[in-house]
Amino acid sequence: MKSYHDIAGDGGSRILEQVAEQRTRIADGLAGVRHLVAVGSGKGGVGKSTLTLQLAGALRARGLRVAILDADFNGPSQARMAGVQRAVFAPGSHKVALPRTASGIGVFSMGSVIPESEALDFESAARGESHTWRATREFALLGEILGSFEWGTLDLLLVDLPPGADRTAQYADFLGARTAFVLVTIPSQVARGVVARSVAALTKRPNRLVGYVENMSGYYCRDCSAVKPLFESDDPSDLGIPCLGTVPFDPELARHCDLGIPFTELRDTPVGEALDAIAQRLLDDIDDEARALLKTT
Amino acid sequence: MKFLCVPCDSPMKLQTVGPPERGSLSVVYACPECGYEMAMLTNAYETQIVQSLGVRIGPSTAPGTGSDGAASQSKCPFGAMIPGAEQGDAAAPAEDVSVRWTAAAEARLANIPEFVRPMARTGIERFAREQGAAEVDEKILDQAREFFGM
Repeated sequence: MKSYHDIAGDGGSRILEQVAEQRTRIADGLAGVRHLVAVGSGKGGVGKSTLTLQLAGALRARGLRVAILDADFNGPSQARMAGVQRAVFAPGSHKVALPRTASGIGVFSMGSVIPESEALDFESAARGESHTWRATREFALLGEILGSFEWGTLDLLLVDLPPGADRTAQYADFLGARTAFVLVTIPSQVARGVVARSVAALTKRPNRLVGYVENMSGYYCRDCSAVKPLFESDDPSDLGIPCLGTVPFDPELARHCDLGIPFTELRDTPVGEALDAIAQRLLDDIDDEARALLKTT
Repeated sequence: MKFLCVPCDSPMKLQTVGPPERGSLSVVYACPECGYEMAMLTNAYETQIVQSLGVRIGPSTAPGTGSDGAASQSKCPFGAMIPGAEQGDAAAPAEDVSVRWTAAAEARLANIPEFVRPMARTGIERFAREQGAAEVDEKILDQAREFFGM
């Protein structure tokens, strides 16, 4: 009797082929993207989205072509922070034009699609069982977004990841080996512990782990123009990966994000200088990697 | 999943997919050798898991016509899985009847993902009105793309 592998195809629906076609469409759509960098953590509330946007701003200010994919479908924040909540999705001949900020950063966020008063929902007949299929459905949606928008020619596409060490690893699997990772932590043992789990998960994968950024590393007091300690624990992070830089907490940054004010307004502050230095370090690292790859091929 | 006709040792071929009923699909297979037919009846969980992959079930699925093609606005959550079962957005009336859409513009709208289509329609119609246009054509779409896009 024939076994599964003796039979070519699946009888008619071509499920595996359809999934492969989806992956090809995604790869084709991202063919013009030089560097794919995912910004994750594992821990929630450490400032991944803020850093992603401000890092994009710092890179854009250097003249680079940058876009952000807000992959946190259930808690999207990039639309508000980037000022594209009321973006218009204009159909091209085959794909949708990517909305952009006033400074020219392309942004896709579910926050442009779903109002903040509503949660992302999918129709289903399997009521009460979303834990069995929801993650699969969300990744299918991610694939649809990657394959349907005009990412064009970009120097960097920054992917703002949702929290969860497991999710970070799932995104590494989905986005593939070409995606480099930057992790965000804060000077707290709890946060570092969770981020360490993400490091552990990512080191088992072929993705490049560029390093981490320590956010909320001190408090920038605008009255005395000094950075003061914010957390009692100021032990250096021991995550076993390079530190790309530290960023002090600045309430003005939070205000800028709430109002969608671009990075250039902060550029000459300690926060702006820190972000600029991180952007440069990231560029140096990924360009070194690209050069090393060229040498070996 | 594949099905084998054991007496003929021949892989069975998908014949038809019945319309979804309470989350269940009826997928009929037949043996090309002896003609024996059998039906696979899925429960809602099985249907949902396959649907979550963003693929279509049915013998007429052609390359490039997965769920990223003309997606569904059907009331049935599984309508988009079955070729021919969907009621495409292109057939839906525009929200604002004062702005018409040409057939070519509707076709371009139908190419974009279902989840952004209603917003795209509303936004483009607003843009058209701001431009003093009574009709959305490909020229208006190109202008909107230039104005709003990368």
